[in-house]
Amino acid sequence: MKKFTLSCLAIIISLIAGALILWLMGKDPVAAYMNLLQGSGLMQKVKYAGRQNMFTDFMSFIDAMTPMIFASLSVAIALRGGFFNIGVSGQMMIAGFTAHMLSLVVPSRILVIVVGVIAGALVGALIGWMRYRFNVNEVVSSIMLNSTIMYLVTFCINTFYVNPVSRQSKSIIESARLTISGFRWENLKLDIALAFPLAIITAMFLQWLIERTTYGYEMKAVGLSPKAAYYAGMKVNRISLITMTISGALAGLAGVSYFCGYYASIQPGTTPSMGFDAIAVSLLGGNNPIGCIFASFLITIISKGSVYMSSRQNIEPEIASLITAFILTFAACSAFLSRKGRK
Amino acid sequence: MSEPIVEFRHITKKFPGIIANDDVSLTINKGEIFAVLGENGAGKSTLVSMLFGTYEPDGGEILIRGKKERIYSPRYASSLSIGMVHQHFRLVSNFSVAENIILGLEPERKLFGFIPYVDIEKANHDIAELSERYGLKINPEDVIENLNVASCQRVEILKMLYREAEILIFDEPTAVLTPQEIESFLDIVRSLRENGKTIILITHKLAEIKAAADRCAILNRGKLITVLDVESTSADEMARLMVGHDISFRTEKKPAVFGDVILDVQNMSVKSRTGLDAVKDVSFQIHAGEVFAVAGVSGNGQNELADSIAGLCPCSSGKITINGHDITRASVRERIEAGIAYIPEDRHNVGLVLDFTLRDNLPLRQYYTPKFSHKGVISRSSFVEYNRTLEKEYDIRSSQGGATIMRSMSGGNQQKAIIAREIDMQTPLIMFMQPTRGLDIGAVMNVRKQIIAERNRGAAVLLISLDLDEIIDCADTIAVIFNGRINKISPAEKISVDEIGLYMMGVKTA
Repeated sequence: MKKFTLSCLAIIISLIAGALILWLMGKDPVAAYMNLLQGSGLMQKVKYAGRQNMFTDFMSFIDAMTPMIFASLSVAIALRGGFFNIGVSGQMMIAGFTAHMLSLVVPSRILVIVVGVIAGALVGALIGWMRYRFNVNEVVSSIMLNSTIMYLVTFCINTFYVNPVSRQSKSIIESARLTISGFRWENLKLDIALAFPLAIITAMFLQWLIERTTYGYEMKAVGLSPKAAYYAGMKVNRISLITMTISGALAGLAGVSYFCGYYASIQPGTTPSMGFDAIAVSLLGGNNPIGCIFASFLITIISKGSVYMSSRQNIEPEIASLITAFILTFAACSAFLSRKGRK
Repeated sequence: MSEPIVEFRHITKKFPGIIANDDVSLTINKGEIFAVLGENGAGKSTLVSMLFGTYEPDGGEILIRGKKERIYSPRYASSLSIGMVHQHFRLVSNFSVAENIILGLEPERKLFGFIPYVDIEKANHDIAELSERYGLKINPEDVIENLNVASCQRVEILKMLYREAEILIFDEPTAVLTPQEIESFLDIVRSLRENGKTIILITHKLAEIKAAADRCAILNRGKLITVLDVESTSADEMARLMVGHDISFRTEKKPAVFGDVILDVQNMSVKSRTGLDAVKDVSFQIHAGEVFAVAGVSGNGQNELADSIAGLCPCSSGKITINGHDITRASVRERIEAGIAYIPEDRHNVGLVLDFTLRDNLPLRQYYTPKFSHKGVISRSSFVEYNRTLEKEYDIRSSQGGATIMRSMSGGNQQKAIIAREIDMQTPLIMFMQPTRGLDIGAVMNVRKQIIAERNRGAAVLLISLDLDEIIDCADTIAVIFNGRINKISPAEKISVDEIGLYMMGVKTA
């Protein structure tokens, strides 16, 4: 419960800090924050374009939130098992790219998901293996792999998979895309995130895995005190490897629901910032899978709503990233505070 | 002739659940060696920590040079020219002696008149001079990691002298030293006194107090018993006062009945983490119903010995069998299943997951068994049930029951939890490594009773302790380890304390 209070405190302080900046810029913070909610389909906008209303906005909000849930779960699982996986971006990218490639051959949604999971899991396992085999710190290896993967994927896209107009990768074929875009319902055009139910189920499953299984018990013990885990007769290396594999697989799911769902294509030359935002989300959610759902909901409001906010208030959308960054900072502080408070 | 330099007036300090100092008043004079004597947990470290600013008293006042001071930090203490050598040295291991000593007070010079740099030559020179003056024999250019313990201690002393400390506090300075080193340490202390320094010595070793101290305060369970003149008091008298009653608190035990050999260690050698031979060619056997106690000075291979039997570190050669099964190459879990319970020395990092709750810590070594889980799914109710049983049976006290985070529990109760967990497995072999370190007297007696109870139920008990009293109190068989070798194994009644001491110090080898 204390964790929950601290998370709320982090959010409130960040929102106040953001409001302060908006106010200094001569904008109305309340209106700007309302725009965030409006852009996320949680509040009525002044007017809507044809075939759109609050519900269509909310559906595309869910579409944006789905990969965020997976990404934050990836970070959370790794942290619980004693790893700081900051390579979620790279793992997302490799998963997304492999799935894109495979969908050229076999356009199947199931296959996209399976391939994404495998690709992410392999990278995660590599990071875990490097740590116990060569004692390479996972922070270093995962961030290095981010660059490696990003340039590799960029090279491949630019060489033979580029859409010359958009300068992005070609779009994934609709029958393999994890988001049904422009679905006609009544007189509306909806985006339906097919992976969203999977994200919720995954979070619930992970919660069960952590709290109710011997593996979860081992994972937490290894994460909190490897020496004690070893003394308890646990196979520390194997458990670490499994943890990183699961973390990678979740990042892979984030990757496919992002690059083969929310976005249908991959932008070369950059890693998705979601992989880093996910750290904030996970910390905010107390590294608890269910907490991650709520934290993703919140952070997605800020990131998704920022587009609408920037057009209405004439502010740079980066202000939203700034608020997210504040939350990360305060959430990290509160993680520290809660640990200190226990001593 | 004697002018008071430090005065404690009615000092009281409380920690959760324990009164560390209870209305302690004493005066320390300038230029004397003042010893503070007491058993583990008597409150001597706490008392002196308040002088050094690590803690602040809850009641009473401290006067330095006749002036009332509120010593709120070590930094402030050092501005009052109070210095302290801690039990664990605080040195940067890859810095030179001089660099360590000047840390925070670097003599500065300016390159080209404006770029500041550390004048290490001046530092080296000053420190060599200082070292010369007090007969410390330290080369300021040596790197700390190449020095032995005694030299590191001298570096710590120099560090205080460099800061012009007048009041020097030593916390258990001889715990880690060999007899010869102790001798020369006492010489150093005497020469410091000749130079007008005031020395406060915390220790529980009577011999040193007899050899060096002028006066001695005796603490027992936080209370000041008396301050006495060392010269006119006998060591026996001091011992009696320290313990609070005549030394008769031996744990009740009935005669041992030895059963079959449970643990058989043959020619075992173990390398330490640094690759040196920590345990050398050790062989011994422990029978059912026997307390086999290993005595020795800290750091003579006890840790490696216990860890390698428990499977936490591999042995480089030799053979370990338990109940006839060869477990030399077995994993930790296989050994647990073969019947080894182990109470490790480092209860914070090894014995417990501190951020787990009490409830989650208790099944730490059995969570995967059918008692606690089924097909990989944990039964929370069995955890709750087990917690309730052990809490009651072993009197583990916590603020929120099973949901208490281990970290927030007192050291005594943490140890109770570990011991409860290990004893409850009812294994044929149970190893206690320093089981009473840092516990209060009541808890100590309790642990010793449990050790004896384990032996009486027919377990083979391996007890490794630095506390000789504990060994004599519990052991049926005493082994003495020195420099990685077991130099003597003898039935407890056939070896005297003095003899154990000689083997411990390596003076005598079998």
